[in-house]
Amino acid sequence: MPGLTEAAAIEQAKGGDSIAFEALYGLHKRRVYSLCLRMTGNTAEAEDLTQEAFLQLYRKIGTFRGESAFSTWLHRLSVNVVLMHLRKKGLPEVSLEETLEPQQEDGPKKDIGARDNVLAGSIDRVNLERAIENLPPGYRIIFVLHDIEGYEHNEIAEMMGCSIGNSKSQLHKARMKLRDLLKLSKAEKAARR
Amino acid sequence: MSGTGGSKKMTCAEFQEVLPYIFESGGDASEMEHLKTCPICSDLVRDLRYIADQAKLLLPLRDPSPQVWDNIQNSLEREGLVRQQAKAHSAGKKKLMEQP
Repeated sequence: MPGLTEAAAIEQAKGGDSIAFEALYGLHKRRVYSLCLRMTGNTAEAEDLTQEAFLQLYRKIGTFRGESAFSTWLHRLSVNVVLMHLRKKGLPEVSLEETLEPQQEDGPKKDIGARDNVLAGSIDRVNLERAIENLPPGYRIIFVLHDIEGYEHNEIAEMMGCSIGNSKSQLHKARMKLRDLLKLSKAEKAARR
Repeated sequence: MSGTGGSKKMTCAEFQEVLPYIFESGGDASEMEHLKTCPICSDLVRDLRYIADQAKLLLPLRDPSPQVWDNIQNSLEREGLVRQQAKAHSAGKKKLMEQP
């Protein structure tokens, strides 16, 4: 729709204009879908959740008053849709509180006494995306929300129903696990040469 | 190993125990001193910062399949959320709103 601003599309969508709905979908589908895909790690689930997020958006758009940016509102709504879905599946928030204690295989102490090559300069986007996909679900969600989507720990704690300390702890474990995965990938690449 | 010598100096284990909670703030004087003098912990922190920085640069992955919009549209119509007369224009204008 040429010349239609986001603000105009929002107002028209409030009146049930299907072109405006489609315009908003076109503007935000990629980011919403990517959020869903990174959080779930599953294409089919991500598509279902994208669909559900936009349907909720359209049902609730009349309540959008512009106190925050529309994209912020939509992404928060989308995160809640994904978290609700994962909660229904019993993943991964069930294990979130249980993983507060550092685990042996990926706890922070394993680095003591073992200085490896640093990662700086060695990560490419494909490797990082692959490593994120391989994170355990609980770690992956916190990492996506904080490090990719830019949510603060207090926001994550509120959305996930956990403490801020727990969010920080999970994020740290996620980054530690990613470090291991990326180092492994780096070593495999070096061995092939 | 650095950080295990003096009785008052922080050890690597102690530093790494608090690291999740001081990662953004930088920690207190003893934690900063440990970080400055311990190559293992400084490598670790550098790696974790690098990962966090690279993650911020990741772009949205890709678009969902066209089926997703078709399903949304059908649901909107079923629920009576859209005005029907606008639908006829929809297909022709679809591509104009696609993100680059």
